[in-house]
Amino acid sequence: MSFDQGSRQELKERFEAYASSHDPALRAQLVSAYIGLAEYLARRFANRGEPLDDLVQVASLALVKAFDRFEPQRGVEFSTYATHTIVGELKRHFRDKGWAIKAPRRMQELYLRLGKLVGTMVQVLGRSPTVAELAAEAKVSEEEVLEALEAGQAYRSASLDAPAGSEEGEALAARLGDDDDSLDVAENRATLSPLLAQLPRRERLILHMRFFEGLTQTEIASQFGISQMHVSRLLARSLAQLRSAAEPNS
Amino acid sequence: MDDGDEVTLVVPARPEFLGLVRVTVAGLASRLGFTFDQIEDLRLAIDELCFGLTGTKGKDGTLEVRFVLDEEGLAVHGEGHFAAGGTSGLSELSQIILGALVDEHSLTAAAFGPRFSFVKKREGPTTRQNPPGEGQ
Repeated sequence: MSFDQGSRQELKERFEAYASSHDPALRAQLVSAYIGLAEYLARRFANRGEPLDDLVQVASLALVKAFDRFEPQRGVEFSTYATHTIVGELKRHFRDKGWAIKAPRRMQELYLRLGKLVGTMVQVLGRSPTVAELAAEAKVSEEEVLEALEAGQAYRSASLDAPAGSEEGEALAARLGDDDDSLDVAENRATLSPLLAQLPRRERLILHMRFFEGLTQTEIASQFGISQMHVSRLLARSLAQLRSAAEPNS
Repeated sequence: MDDGDEVTLVVPARPEFLGLVRVTVAGLASRLGFTFDQIEDLRLAIDELCFGLTGTKGKDGTLEVRFVLDEEGLAVHGEGHFAAGGTSGLSELSQIILGALVDEHSLTAAAFGPRFSFVKKREGPTTRQNPPGEGQ
C-alpha cells in the first residue's frame, strides 16, 4: 500500500480519531482504504489448498482486527502493523484447518494440468477417463497422477479444498439463479435442513445434485461449465464442513 | 468379492493419516480400471466412513482398513481399534451420501470399536492389464 503525503496525513488523523472513538463508520472508511492490502496478502497464500475467497475473508477479518488493536501513537505505519496481523491470521487459518501440509509445487501444477485434461478427455471419450488414460495423456506415471490427486486435495478434518479456483467458483456462482426449487426440496428435509443451511448456496446445490439427484461429478461439472476436479473439491469441502458442524463439541 | 487380492493398511486413527487411506483406495481402484469419477467417489466414501469412526479430531488407537480386489470391483472393510472402544452411527445425511457414492455400505459395532464395509463395483471401460506406471 502506498499513499501520497496528503493521504497519509489524512489517514493518520482518521486512525487517531478511530483509536479514541471506535466509530464504526470511520472504521468502514479505513477498511475501504486498506482492503487491497488484505486481498494482496490473501493471494500470496493462494494455491496452498484453500479457496481464495476464504483467504480473502480471513485476511479481511484480520484487517478489521488490526484496526481495533492499532495504536497510532506508537509511530508504526499501519500497513506494517496490519501486514503482520493479517499474515499471522492467514498462517493460523492454515494451521487450524490442518493445512500445514504443503503440496510440492510440481504436484500442484500437475494437479491443475490434470484438471484441464480431465475436462478435455470427458469430451473426447464421452465418459470420465481412467487414471491410466489420464497418465498416458499427461505423459506422467499413474503414481504421479494419484499423488497429484491427493496433493491437490490435501484435505483434512475441518476444511478441504485445493488450489483456489476462484474463476471457476465465480463462473459457477454466476450460473446459479436466485431461486431453485429442487434445492428447496432438499432443504425441506427436516433433519437435514439445519446442517445443509450452514453451507453456501452453490455448495448446497452441488451437494444436492450429486447425492440427492445422483448426477456424477462429471455431469455436474458439465452443467456448470467447471472442471470435474473443482466439483470434487467443492463436494469434499462441503462434506468436511458438515462433519465438523455435526461434531458434538463443535 | 472375498476371493481376490487383499491389501491391509493399519494407520493411527487420526485425520492426518486418512490421506494414506485415500491414496491407497485410489491406487487400487486405478488398478481395477475405475474411472476418475468413481475414484473420486471412493475417496469421498473413505472420508465419510473413516471420519464417522474417528471423528474430525481423531481417537487414540488405530484404524485397520482391508481392501479386497476382484473382477467385479473393490470391497473395503474398516475397523477401529480404539482405547476407549465405543460405537459410532451414521447420520441420515451420511447414509444418503454413501448411498450415492458406493453400491453397498454398512457400519456396525465390534469389540474394540466400530466396523464398516462398503463395495464399489467397477464400471470402467476395461480391466487393467498393466501394473501402474507401465501404461505409457
